[in-house]
Amino acid sequence: MSKFFKQTYNEQFKIYIKKSTWVMYILIAALIIGLAFIELTYGEGDQSSAGDDWRTELEQQNEQLIEDNEQAAEDEGQNEFIIEMNNDQLAENTYRLENDAPPRGYSALDFVNDNAFLSSLISLLTIIIAAGIVSNEFKWGTIKLLLIRPISRAKILLSKYVAVLLFALYTLIFVWFLSLITGMIFFGFEGFDSTIVTARASGYEEVTLFTEALKTYGYSLVNLVMMATFAFMISTIFRQSSLAIGLAIFLMLSGNMIVGFFAEQSWAKYILFANTNLQQFETGNMLLEGLTLPFSLTVLLVYYLVFVTLAWLFFTKRDVAGQ
Amino acid sequence: MKEVTMELTNVHKKIGKKEIIKGVNFSINKGEVFGFIGPNGAGKTTTIRMMVGLMNITEGDIKILGNSIKSNFHQAIKEVGAIVENPEMYAFMTGRQNLNHYARMNQDVTKDRVEEVIQLVGLEKAINEKVGKYSLGMRQRLGIAQALLHKPSILILDEPTNGLDPAGIREIRKYIRSLAENDGVSVIISSHLLSEIELMCDRIGVIQHGEIVKIQSLHESDEDAAGIVVSFEVDQAEQAKQLLMNELEADVQVRDHFVSVMLEKEKIPSVNKLLVDSNISVYQIQTTKETLEDQFFDLMGANTIE
Repeated sequence: MSKFFKQTYNEQFKIYIKKSTWVMYILIAALIIGLAFIELTYGEGDQSSAGDDWRTELEQQNEQLIEDNEQAAEDEGQNEFIIEMNNDQLAENTYRLENDAPPRGYSALDFVNDNAFLSSLISLLTIIIAAGIVSNEFKWGTIKLLLIRPISRAKILLSKYVAVLLFALYTLIFVWFLSLITGMIFFGFEGFDSTIVTARASGYEEVTLFTEALKTYGYSLVNLVMMATFAFMISTIFRQSSLAIGLAIFLMLSGNMIVGFFAEQSWAKYILFANTNLQQFETGNMLLEGLTLPFSLTVLLVYYLVFVTLAWLFFTKRDVAGQ
Repeated sequence: MKEVTMELTNVHKKIGKKEIIKGVNFSINKGEVFGFIGPNGAGKTTTIRMMVGLMNITEGDIKILGNSIKSNFHQAIKEVGAIVENPEMYAFMTGRQNLNHYARMNQDVTKDRVEEVIQLVGLEKAINEKVGKYSLGMRQRLGIAQALLHKPSILILDEPTNGLDPAGIREIRKYIRSLAENDGVSVIISSHLLSEIELMCDRIGVIQHGEIVKIQSLHESDEDAAGIVVSFEVDQAEQAKQLLMNELEADVQVRDHFVSVMLEKEKIPSVNKLLVDSNISVYQIQTTKETLEDQFFDLMGANTIE
């Protein structure tokens, strides 16, 4: 076991000794701080002013929203999006009024939650790492010195895979904490028990912001792990990082489009990307009809096993020949 | 009976339908330096890759200290240190980081051992620099260092003198001899340049078109038996030639004042006496041996890659 631990350490060492990895982290840090500045300058000012008269304010806002919607409906053109957005706000406000949940100012945890979209950036970086971790050894020729040690090929591959997942985890934690700290500095902190009103399958609900943020990040991990594993497999089979990065990023960005394109087909629900967003079962905003949580979990597991098995087969069985 | 470190029995390798290695058999003894010679494309590197488990063996087996590399990879590879083709290291890491990386992959390689190996190959000064800045010679030394970390019983070096200057080659030669003689390490050295490794090998095996065509010991005693070419400088060459042809029934050649004949070493004094007794003045006696290089080229014929 300690030998495997040491090898995982080796693999992580090789990731973090490279300057390009640190450039990635610096870029993330710059982005988070930049986002905080943007939020501070252009953020919704009304949210911070939640005084005692919040009820009247929300009622006024609701009247305004209904008026806007009536006007939008009369106008010819593409106003559906605006109407929908207004309706969401309306529903949230109504929930707050009915359940006596006053809106609260923007705080550090809101910032963390808003930055959940950065998880796609984490996916991107993880894909880059996963795509290189096996193929680079071939490119550098170091694979020959790596495989002539008293460690089986399967363990070497596993240590590389674990190193990729750990990289994703560290990066996630980095984004979390940096967002939290930046948020605290820029927007203040209202404690871990502050709440948010959000959409659920059964309607609007008031939930703790902290768990909500955790969940948003957690759900994004599914896609991250699947795409990283995919890139890892391509990298192992074709020994080419550029192909692995290209394919994985292409699929990550066009996943929903692919599902949309084939939505009419009966087999559409077996497409990986129809199942990667597990949050859809909580919000009720389903990508396809007929999906259930157990079904999606099964599909994900099957894809995952196929990826991992293919990578394992190619890595352990194949001759390491000359270039 | 000599102790055998590595044994190849009837090793075959097929890639697709093409048979690249066609039944190779040989073994390497403890403390022996074995030269593995062959032109490019003869199957040297393929054979070495099978020895270290980078390639699967189609048929036959390779055993290291009795453990098959096929079925008992762990036990077998533990005893092997190797450089396969170029000594490629992580260029973005320092020499020491590279060595530590490989040290962590073996059990019982201590920090002290790493330092010891660094000193052994004389890389103390450059060890904290990035390998990307190393010259080929320095990389070659680092390659040898990583191969020696775990004190292997057998060292496999693929073209170790590649890119080294003459001083570097001499140093490596000295070093390999001392490893073999003092530490009892068996060494396999492959090369397509026989002259470079001739001086450090005990035996050589020549591979061509995937087959071992010759295995020869380089110890002096064996050469004596084979016979050497002896030239006599005399005043009457033609007369000497007639005399030697009659007496020795051997092929005698004449060039200027030199008469050359294949002889065993023990016969030189008697032939000399024969010439002197026949009133032929002998000014000098030279022995020349056909170099291994010549034999090698005779064996290879034209270097054709199939």
